[in-house]
Amino acid sequence: MIAIIGAGPAGLAAAVAAARSGAEVALFDASTNFGGQYWRHRTDVAGYKAERAQKYFDAVISSPNITFISEAQVWSAERRDGLIQINYLQGGAESFLTVEKVILATGAHDRTLPFPGWDYPGSMTPGAAQALYKGHGVVAGKRILIAGSGPFLLPVATGLAEAGAHVVGLLEANSPLRWARSPIALLRNPLKFFELIYYLRLLRRYSLKPQFGAAVVGYENGVAQIARVGSSLRAKGVDRREIACDVVAVGWGFQPDVSLGGILGCVEKVDRDGTVIFQVDSSQLSSQANIWIAGEATGIGGADLSITEGEIAGLAASGSEIPKKLLRKRSAQHAFARALQKSYPVGDGWKEWITPETTICRCEEVSHSAILDSIHELGAEDSRTAKLLTRAGMGLCQGRICSRNVAEIIAGARKCEVSPSERIAASNRPLAAPISLGVLADGESLN
Amino acid sequence: MSSVIEFTFDDKELTGEKGQSIAAVLISLGTPIVRLTRFEKQPRSIFCGIGICFDCVVIVDGVANQRACLTQIRQGMSVRSQP
Ligand SMILES: Cc1cc2nc3c(=O)[nH]c(=O)nc-3n(C[C@H](O)[C@H](O)[C@H](O)COP(=O)(O)OP(=O)(O)OC[C@H]3O[C@@H](n4cnc5c(N)ncnc54)[C@H](O)[C@@H]3O)c2cc1C
Ligand code: FES
Repeated sequence: MIAIIGAGPAGLAAAVAAARSGAEVALFDASTNFGGQYWRHRTDVAGYKAERAQKYFDAVISSPNITFISEAQVWSAERRDGLIQINYLQGGAESFLTVEKVILATGAHDRTLPFPGWDYPGSMTPGAAQALYKGHGVVAGKRILIAGSGPFLLPVATGLAEAGAHVVGLLEANSPLRWARSPIALLRNPLKFFELIYYLRLLRRYSLKPQFGAAVVGYENGVAQIARVGSSLRAKGVDRREIACDVVAVGWGFQPDVSLGGILGCVEKVDRDGTVIFQVDSSQLSSQANIWIAGEATGIGGADLSITEGEIAGLAASGSEIPKKLLRKRSAQHAFARALQKSYPVGDGWKEWITPETTICRCEEVSHSAILDSIHELGAEDSRTAKLLTRAGMGLCQGRICSRNVAEIIAGARKCEVSPSERIAASNRPLAAPISLGVLADGESLN
Repeated sequence: MSSVIEFTFDDKELTGEKGQSIAAVLISLGTPIVRLTRFEKQPRSIFCGIGICFDCVVIVDGVANQRACLTQIRQGMSVRSQP
């Protein structure tokens, strides 16, 4: 049996490919429904190429080989007698399933950068604003400002406008001219032009005008402070424009969650843009036998690349031949993913926006100055030591939101770069989900 | 086809649609704050909206640390703000 963790585009494509090759598949997701972050766990998916989602949903439902295990949060996995045991929580109860092979398709979440006021209610990620209207039919606020960087801001802004929200601004920190640096990647992915046209039409329909080279650098009492920025994200000048809004949705691309693969010993590496991802071979096989990885966890590249990687992983795990055409498609999509990195870099100029009082670790309420003190006064040299001294990254989210930023702040203060080993250490955690000690103790007793 | 679900948040009686999360209902009612932080008593609402950040934790039927952005409302559910 093959266990697939994550039922987003990558996990669904893997499940369908493996099941067609005759394999028995257990498909896990923490959510009630499948679909992942883009197709959003609803059966009535709307948006660009939405019919593609329906095709996968139908295939999963009609396949006798696929069992969907919903609301199952996989918190750990371990090798046991040559097999792999998946430990998961479902409705507060602990269960496990032992399988021969695993495909990890755990996806990503919005990457966030701190700014003064980012911890006030009303400041959220674009993903949160999108999840609210797509998943729950709720518009996050009356006047919504969308900001940050990356193509994902387009579906969020147009989707919110379509859902009836008043989108008061769409700020993209980077210049669209940066795409000119990747002509070959664009030529290899001509269909992306249709996607662009699709969004340009929607922008026009809702009279949304993206403003480039601008970023939200503060938010207080319903007013966002806007600075002009370059691709380094350093603010140009001291002038700040103000935009009144009750929601400011700011995101800086995506950050994969590597915890589960890390627990299983799958080798990670640092991508060009500093993101920690898994190392996989041409069949999506990780450094560990019988564990394949697909989707955003092997590099951020969007839903199309996730689907292709999922299909390849599903075929490989079920022992089927991988068509050359599929490999060529992935190669073109990888080129596009690289172009995305070149077009939407996230500079470190944000470190100049934050004030000593700005909260950096939201869970443990650790301020910027507390982290600086741990370096200058207590001698911390890396994020692990700073974490022990300040508790930054020790809260319920286990550093998922702050650890990358903490590492950057420390490196900045010590005038050095974050080392690859520190990036990898900051991205891993002993459990893939926080669970109560009672459950952990019960789990131990199984050993 | 939506059915109405009744639940309480800090003893206030609220209603939402089946399938909605606790946080979605609170935001749709214009009362987005789910808790005050432990140390500084700062108000918090949702942040990531997809179960990653744990900013939105509440006590659901006596069980603490439940994510309001993920937990769907159920008939008669009692939700409390987490200190
Ligand atoms: C909030 C959000 C919104 C997005 N919206 C868009 C969009 O509108 N358009 C677009 O092109 N791209 C969007 N993206 C980018 C998107 O991530 C990819 O395009 C695509 O969804 C990636 O597919 P995936 O299968 O790799 O991962 P995902 O779609 O992220 O799926 C991963 C799945 O794994 C599950 N999972 C993770 N860990 C565990 C665990 N331990 N136990 C159980 N289940 C687990 C999650 O619940 C999730 O359903 C969005 C990303 C995010 C985070
Ligand atoms: S808002 Fe992040 S976990 Fe609920």
